[in-house]
Formats: sequence, structure tokens, C-alpha cells
Amino acid sequence: MGGPCEVLAEVADETEARKITESVAACAWRVENKFSRYRSDNIVARINTAGGKPVEVDVETANLLDFAALMHRLSDGLFDITSGVLRKAWTFDGGRRLPTQSGIDALLPLVGWSKVRWVRPMIALSPGMEIDFGGIGKEYAVDQATQLAAQMSSAAVLVNFGGDLAVTRSRKENRAWRVGIESIDAGDRRAAMLVDLAAGALSTSGDTYRYVESEGRRLSHILDPRTGWPVNGAPRSVTVAAPTCTNAGMLTTLAMLRGPGAEAFLESEGVRHWVQRGT
Amino acid sequence: MAGAASAAAAAGVTDMADKEMKIGAALAAATCSLLGTATPGVSIAADAEPKWDVESAFLYYGESDDRVNDLSLSAHATRDFGDERTLGLDLSVDSLTGASPSGAIASGGAQTFTSPSGRETYRTPAGEIPLDDTFLDTRFALNGSWSQPLARLYTVNAGLGFSSEYDYQHIGANFGLTRDFNQRNTTLSAALAYAQDTVKPVGGIPLPLAQMTDVVDDDVSPGNRGDGSDTKNVLDVLLGVTQVLGRHSVLRVNLSYSDSSGYLTDPYKILSVVDPVTGDLIGRTPAPGASGPTGVYLHESRPDSRRKEALYAELRHDFSGKVLQVGYRYSTDDWEVDSHTVESRLRLPFGSSSYLEPHVRYYQQTAASFYRYSLANVTPLPGFASADARLSEMNALTFGLKYGHVNAGGNEWNARLELYRQTAKAPNEVLIGNQIGNAQMPDFDAVILQFGYHFKL
Repeated sequence: MGGPCEVLAEVADETEARKITESVAACAWRVENKFSRYRSDNIVARINTAGGKPVEVDVETANLLDFAALMHRLSDGLFDITSGVLRKAWTFDGGRRLPTQSGIDALLPLVGWSKVRWVRPMIALSPGMEIDFGGIGKEYAVDQATQLAAQMSSAAVLVNFGGDLAVTRSRKENRAWRVGIESIDAGDRRAAMLVDLAAGALSTSGDTYRYVESEGRRLSHILDPRTGWPVNGAPRSVTVAAPTCTNAGMLTTLAMLRGPGAEAFLESEGVRHWVQRGT
Repeated sequence: MAGAASAAAAAGVTDMADKEMKIGAALAAATCSLLGTATPGVSIAADAEPKWDVESAFLYYGESDDRVNDLSLSAHATRDFGDERTLGLDLSVDSLTGASPSGAIASGGAQTFTSPSGRETYRTPAGEIPLDDTFLDTRFALNGSWSQPLARLYTVNAGLGFSSEYDYQHIGANFGLTRDFNQRNTTLSAALAYAQDTVKPVGGIPLPLAQMTDVVDDDVSPGNRGDGSDTKNVLDVLLGVTQVLGRHSVLRVNLSYSDSSGYLTDPYKILSVVDPVTGDLIGRTPAPGASGPTGVYLHESRPDSRRKEALYAELRHDFSGKVLQVGYRYSTDDWEVDSHTVESRLRLPFGSSSYLEPHVRYYQQTAASFYRYSLANVTPLPGFASADARLSEMNALTFGLKYGHVNAGGNEWNARLELYRQTAKAPNEVLIGNQIGNAQMPDFDAVILQFGYHFKL
């Protein structure tokens, strides 16, 4: 999942805690193995390496592709699961290496969901194009694992995959889970803010560790698939609370993609949100 | 044209608003179908800051035999301003009624005393421990404190406190600093507090070991009084360490030093003067035409300084949700009052939103070097003497049970019942003649009943 994963379960019995943790871990590995773009033996690899030929996908993958198509439409093309190839030009490791415009221009023809032929259950990409569920997969895995934990145990469980998290229910004595949102200052170990979460999910998108610095400007890792460049004026960190982690994650991503309009977007959606901008 | 343009603009705004609204709804619906959930769960996410967190309580404290009764209302409010900056406010109002032991001993005959004001008398029947029933007071207290990080790993806090009752004023200030070490598993803290109290007893400050006089008229001051008021200063220094011991235990150790100086005497406490051989009360007759005490009673006298050192250790351990807290305190001072306190609480959660918390506490102390059950009628008198049972050999046992319930809104109400028994013993070396084997100490039982509500604003 590209980050530390943890399960907090409010159970007295070690066996039960172990059972929940192992099931959540198994669920996380299943989603990771099936949808990671780093593997060569999964459905994503088969789609990406089909060389223009259509690939028939299973129901779960089809559901994710439908979801991605809807996100693309709702975001006016800003959310695009084919934009991953731009990473060939960008390395968001906190360094100063910037790509050349010609390098980006060479990749742009390979980006664009509208170029994908998707007729459920068949998908065909033009040669060189790739899809990447990185923008959905982690939140989806949190929701899958949280649903599983809720089915297995009546205890309160919190599933946290690298800062995207959901809870099955409130803790004993109706206490909420207190979640700290990491400060955008990497050196500051204190939480920037605390959120009491009794039900639902939180998703955070931020650039604490993933950014490029250029002429003193910090460029976000959120790329505009239309230009190939980072979105201007995006907040350093956006956190959204929603009934599910997938829902929350999409809202943080859509907010990030709106750059300076992130706060206005979240206000108009009427969701609980916390935005951190650098000085 | 202008009208059409503005209508179009308005339509555009509406379209945009509709579109914005559609994102959330469409996204929620799409997420549900993706995850296969019928209806989305409800998110009750809320900011944990900044807001008020208030613990309010109503407390009744009642001692047996119609002694002291206290009705108290209190509120402890904290407000989190984010970044670990918190404001704390404490407010309490106490209403004390009843009678308290004056320090005089019980006698075979009825006894008459002049009340602290010097203007009237009260009687104690034969065989009973004399209680001064003019005890009645209302106390008001307010404390404010501020805490914030000073630098990375440092937290500083400072506070001011004030309390007032009709014969006693208190003003105090405190300052503390904590430093985290060892990945925040170890915290060292240092704190300093300074208080100045003013005592303004009814009838004025009695002279040390001055004899209780006959009743005087309103326009005359009793002859045994000095100034109208006096002060007391208290300096407290505390050094503490808190250590996390694994995932389930926390140990806290405090060392404290307290230096009190000034007027440390209780202006309402007296001693009975007795025959040096029999230990029986020496009789007295009021002046002709006057009313007054029927025995010889002297106002107590305590040293004007007290230095106290204490060690406190507390271990908390979480047994899978059941939290056990065990504490021990040792205290020693230059009045020779040495004390040990052992205290334990066990929090037992049950159901999904309730807990029970049994509590037990045992306290024992040695007598102060100047504690006297009574004073022998010999000269010279000792420099210091007090018959206050709280300075005698004493032990106290408390049993309590607390029940708490957290409602759906996350607020907690709780009820606590505690039973307290205090037993004092006069050391044999302070007993004289007939007192040996017959000394009556003002022991008592007390009940504490508290209702609390903990809520957020």
C-alpha cells in the first residue's frame, strides 16, 4: 500500500485481535496483488501489456473501471487513471530534478481516459498507454478491509492504510476514535489537528514527502493530466471525512485537483474537511 | 438586454451550483455500488478542537453526629486552542455547615465555652466531646491556567488561583515545565507554586496559649486577642518523572518539597487545662455577673514554619481494558508528622458504554511533636501545643464505588459513593492520670456522594 498499515481493534482477547488483524492484512494483500501496477502477473499488467487488444475483466475490476470513468466525468477530465505514465517524467522524491517540456509532450498522447475503449466487461488501451488504480486502490482496500472487520467482529476496529482510514463503529462507552492529522511540517511530530471519529472514514492527500522543489517553489505530486504539470495552487494537505474511505479519498483528490479552489469546492460539497496550506 | 444577461448569469450560477452538488451525490452513489453497500454509513466526524470540555460535579460530604456538612458545586473546564495550547478554568462554590471539634476534652460534667467571637457562650453536655457549632461558611474558588509547547519537546504551564471565605483569603500562582525524552516515553517535570493566605478570624487572632475569657460586650475587644488578621506563605516545589513501561503500563514518581511560614495556627482550636496528677479538667467560675467558660481553656499555638517532603509513586496498568491504578505516598515534616498513604482504583468497563470503578484508600500518620491531648496545669507552659486531632496519631480508611455511563453524544455522567472512617489515637505519653485508657478522640465516619456530568461544548 506504499505506507505503514495498521489495525486498531478494541478487543480484550488476543486471539480475536490476531484473527481480525490477519484477515485485514490478507484483504490488503489481495487488493494490492490484484491491482498493483508494479506486478507483472495481475489484471492491471494484462490490460497494460495487451498491445491494443481488448481484455475481458472480472466483475470487481469492471466495477473499479466504471468508478474511474465516472470520476473522470465528474472532474471534467482532471481525475484520470491513465495519467500514471507521466511518472516516467516526474520523480517526486523531494529533489529538484524537473522534467523537460519535450519529455512531457512526448508522454501526453498516452494520457486520456477518453482514448480508452471501455465497454463493460471489455477494455482496450492504445499501445503505450497504461492504467493505474493508485488513486483509488488504497481507499478501496481500506473500505474492503473495514467491511470485513465489521462482519467478523462486533468490536470497534480502525483500519489505517498510510493515513487513509475507516472505523467500524465507535469505541466502548461511545467514545470516538481520536485521529491526529499529520502536520505538513515534516519535522513536527505533533498532530496538526485532532479529529474525533465515531463512524465513517478519513482520507488525507498531502505532499509532506512527495514533492519536487523548483526555484524555491514546492510542486505538488498532483498532476494535471491535460498539461502534464503539477496542479498550481494546490493545498499542501487535504483531509476529508465521509461515510466511506473511497468517498473521502475521491473528495480529497478532486479538491487537490482544483488547486486554489480546493476549499471552495469542499465548502460547496458540505463535507467536513481540514486543509493545510504552507506559508 | 441587461435583464436577460443577468438572468443568464443567474442560470449559469445555478447550473454550476447544481453541478457541484451532483458531484457529492453521484460520488456517494458510485461508491456504494462499488463497495456493494446498500446505504452509506453515517460519518460523525467532528473537530476535536477548539472547544470546551467541562467536568461538572455536585458533591455532598456529611460527617456523622451532625458534624461538618459540605454541599459543593464545581466545574473544571478546559479549552483546546490547537497545537497543544490549552486553557483551564476551575470554579467551585462550597457551603459548609455544622460543628467541628474545638480540641477541648470531654468531661464528667457539662462544660460552657465562650464562642470564638467572644460575645456569647455555648454548652457541651457531660461526657461529650466539645464541638464548636458556630462553624458555618461559604467558600468560593477560581483557578485559571494556561499550557502550551515552549519548544520541541518542552511544555510550559502557568496558573493563578484565588479563593475566598469570610475569614480566609487565598491567592496563589504556579509555574511548571515538562520535557519529553526517549521518543516521548519519558517525561520530566518541574513545578513551582507560591501562595499567600490571609487569616482573619472572627474576634481577631488569639494570642498563643492565651486563656479563653468571659463574654465581653460588643464594643470591647476580648483581652486575649492580638491583631485582626495574619498571613501565611507557602512555597511548593515538585520534581516528577513519568515513564512509559511497555504498551500497558505507566509509572509516575514525584518528589515534592513544601515550605510554609507565617500564621499556621488554627485560631478556633483550644486545649483543656487539666490537673497534672489526675488529668481531670480544672474548674473555673466566671466573674460575678458575667457568663464565660467553666473550665480553663487555652488557645493553641503552632510553630510559624513547617517544612514537608513527600515522595509519591503511582503505577497504572491496562489489563485489556481494565485499568488498575496503585499509588503510594510517603510524607515527612519537621513537625514530626510522618504519613503513609496507599490508594488503588480499578476501572472495570462493562457493556459498551459503562464502567464501574471501586476505590480504596488507607492513610496513617504519626502525631506532631507538639500534639497534646490536654495541657497539665504546670509552669512553664510548652512553647507550642495543639489538641487538634488532625495532628494526632491517626488513620483513615476510604471505600468507594463510582459508576459512569457515556451516552450516545459522547458525554459522560457518573455517580460516586464513598465511605470514610477516621480514627485518631492520643499517644500514651501525652495522656495524664485518669485519661489513660479513657481518652475520647473525636473519631467520625463520613459519607461522600457525588454526581458528575462530563460534556463538551
